[in-house]
Amino acid sequence: MKTLALIAALALLASMSLGLIQVLRGPSAADRMMGVQLLGTNGIGVLLLLAIALGLPALLDVALIFALLAAVAAAALTRRRLQGPP
Amino acid sequence: MLLWSILAGTDPASWVIGIPTVLLATYLSLSLSSPARRRPRLLALLRFLPYFLGQSLRGGLDVALRVLSPQLRIDPGFVDYRTQLTDPAARVLFLDTISLLPGTLGADIRRQWVRVHALDISSDVRPELVELERRIAALFAHEASP
Amino acid sequence: MSLALAFSTLTILLGCGFFAAGSIGLLRLPDLFSRLHALTKADNLGLGLVIIGLLPWVDSPWQGLKLVLIWLLVLLAGATGAHLVAKRALRGDGEDLK
Repeated sequence: MKTLALIAALALLASMSLGLIQVLRGPSAADRMMGVQLLGTNGIGVLLLLAIALGLPALLDVALIFALLAAVAAAALTRRRLQGPP
Repeated sequence: MLLWSILAGTDPASWVIGIPTVLLATYLSLSLSSPARRRPRLLALLRFLPYFLGQSLRGGLDVALRVLSPQLRIDPGFVDYRTQLTDPAARVLFLDTISLLPGTLGADIRRQWVRVHALDISSDVRPELVELERRIAALFAHEASP
Repeated sequence: MSLALAFSTLTILLGCGFFAAGSIGLLRLPDLFSRLHALTKADNLGLGLVIIGLLPWVDSPWQGLKLVLIWLLVLLAGATGAHLVAKRALRGDGEDLK
């Protein structure tokens, strides 16, 4: 199980690097935002895998906070545009 | 209470902080939401869940197959859909679950007009939307079924 | 190989496949709204499958519930985020639609 989770975590890290490319490439702010959201969900996946594989339940709480912040991040981006100048 | 147990585990010491937090959160959410707001019915929710999970699976498969096929089988465009739902909570749920249906994405909502983005505009997405709307109306007791 | 391990291998690797599809879709798809499709649907399903695969290995039922709670939160954040980004692009000044 440990091997499986570590391999899967590595695969997700590779997937995350694609998201990083998207953040760098843009071109628009929304495209970059989507890249960040991708990093968020993939990162949560990595954290959960590591939490179970390495027996570190604290990582679950880290993932939980990531999930909460993901919702706020998208809302913050939208507000910035809809209300007045950036 | 249940939520806190999940978050903090069953260690009795955590209840010292847990009980006041749960009470405060309950008080705040009750005072912030209007008293007239009605909750979705539990039984209907249980029936909605398998549909929801099935659609998530179909939606994910559909989009994955599309982006992995060499020639990107997409023909994106917008569809405007007039919803019969009146409850704001029901409309938000409708909009959010549209994004889980295969090939559709709830983009915008103004009154009863929902703007849906479709990955493949050549196939008709309306029957799927009608089906979802019917199921969401069943979740909210006071919604007239469309 | 035990049954639980076989089950987890299948779901977790499948989940990783969906994560990968989401990332590839984000890079390949031509416009903002289509990219949102890939991001929300593929990633949510990927995370759901990974979590299902992890469920047999949790220490306690509470931990399992916490995993499911995380998935629900991500679902909600994903769907709401997609809606907000799309709305911003539709109602904004066109900055996102270059």
